Amino acid sequence: MINFEEELKKFHPSLEIEDAEEAIYNQDLTDMADLLVKMVKESQEAEEQ
Amino acid sequence: MFCYNCGCHLSEHDFCTSCGVDVSLYKRIMYVSNMYYNEGLAKAGIRDLTGAVTSLRQSLKFNKNHIEARNLLGLVYFEMGEAVAALSEWVISKNLRPEKNIADDYINMIQANGSRLDTINQTIKKYNQALVYCMQDSKDLAVIQLRKVLSLNPKFIRAHQLLALLYIDSEQWDKAKRELVKCTELDRNNVQTLTYMKEVDQMLAPDETGKVSRRKDESVRYQADNEIIIQPIGVKEPRRSGVSTLLNIGLGLIIGIATMYFLVVPAVRTNVNNESQQKINEISNQITARENTITELESQIELLKQEQENLHKELDGYAGTDGTLQAMDQLLVAATNYISSQQPSELTAEEQAQYIQDTADILEEIKNSVVLEENSESFQNLYNILFTAISPQMSRVYYNAGMDAFNAENYAEAITALERAMEYDPEYGDACFNLGQAYRLSGNNTEAIAAYERFVELLPNTERANRARRYITELSAQ
Repeated sequence: MINFEEELKKFHPSLEIEDAEEAIYNQDLTDMADLLVKMVKESQEAEEQ
Repeated sequence: MFCYNCGCHLSEHDFCTSCGVDVSLYKRIMYVSNMYYNEGLAKAGIRDLTGAVTSLRQSLKFNKNHIEARNLLGLVYFEMGEAVAALSEWVISKNLRPEKNIADDYINMIQANGSRLDTINQTIKKYNQALVYCMQDSKDLAVIQLRKVLSLNPKFIRAHQLLALLYIDSEQWDKAKRELVKCTELDRNNVQTLTYMKEVDQMLAPDETGKVSRRKDESVRYQADNEIIIQPIGVKEPRRSGVSTLLNIGLGLIIGIATMYFLVVPAVRTNVNNESQQKINEISNQITARENTITELESQIELLKQEQENLHKELDGYAGTDGTLQAMDQLLVAATNYISSQQPSELTAEEQAQYIQDTADILEEIKNSVVLEENSESFQNLYNILFTAISPQMSRVYYNAGMDAFNAENYAEAITALERAMEYDPEYGDACFNLGQAYRLSGNNTEAIAAYERFVELLPNTERANRARRYITELSAQ
């Protein structure tokens, strides 16, 4: 049996157009490639040291 | 694929041919990203939008620069009714690749149509408001708001799901199922939709007794204007006998007639009375106006009658018995008499004198009956000619008569005759002197002085003028 209150918690307010700019700026765009590059750089720096 | 270190184009080798850096892991990451993109594309193709979103987000987690994956993610969001999320992805995509990017077209498509953008924003605001209503337990308001949202944006999956949840909560399973079916048509593999659908299907499935647990749906609902009418399905009207039906019809007719008599008829009567009163007022006004006109016309008639009477009187004064103007007729008679008197060969002296006397009498009569100045110029001219013509004879006649009376010491008669002689000939000196004498001898000194003074003016260098001056002196001294 579905619990209305519990199900309602799954719904979140939709972003309005006025909030779009903030949402874009706050979006975390870090990807696996960035992590890889970072790790490679860190390992290179460790080797150099 | 480009080297993350130097940006050169990578070959089939696991290292960069330009800078020599190991790119095997990087290549694998790119492959995984592409794999998720392909998966997302495939899922989007079969309208598994939720699955497509998951795959595309995974793809972007591996490679944020995967423009196709980002653009497709935006498209899928837009299809799900999440316009702001879609715009966000397209804006990021455009920032990552400003040139030759289809995201540019998508953004322009939305921004070019201001009303569409406004509608999207309104939809989102109403959805959020509906969510607030749900939190506040105002579920009816939430349902109304969500219906409005879906009328503006029928592809808004979350709104469909929330509406279905509200219907489930109010145990309107049919309606909930309808919304969920719409969700499924938009997004086939949405877990939330499928969960709700399963619940609804269970409730709608026949139980062991073969009954469908519709609960609140055991009624027919339909909307008439702004009112929702709920009619129970299983309830039947109690059967009535024919007699009671006829009785009811009769009762209804009686009530209807009574209503007509007590409500409609008085209203009609009042209307008729009002109209009649209005007509009476109009007619009264018309009668009053006509009475005024009649009074005015009567007064005009009175004035005209009076004027006519005056004119008749005036005309009677001028007209003789035969209808001709009396004065003119008399003047013509006088002229005839005068012309007759001027034929001495045919007349004796006495007859001639008689004609002259008749002419004088008629002219005297004319003078007394009309105002000469008011008659025509020709009339006046003829009168004056006749009067001048008979003046010498008439002055002589009156002078002689006056002197006879004077000699007989009848001074009053003498004065009258001599005055007449003076009228015919104002420069008749003898008549003037003797008139003064008659006045003096009759004791009327004032008139005597006036006659003497007039004589002195007429004949100043005569012996009688000296006598007249002396008389004036004597009489003035008295």
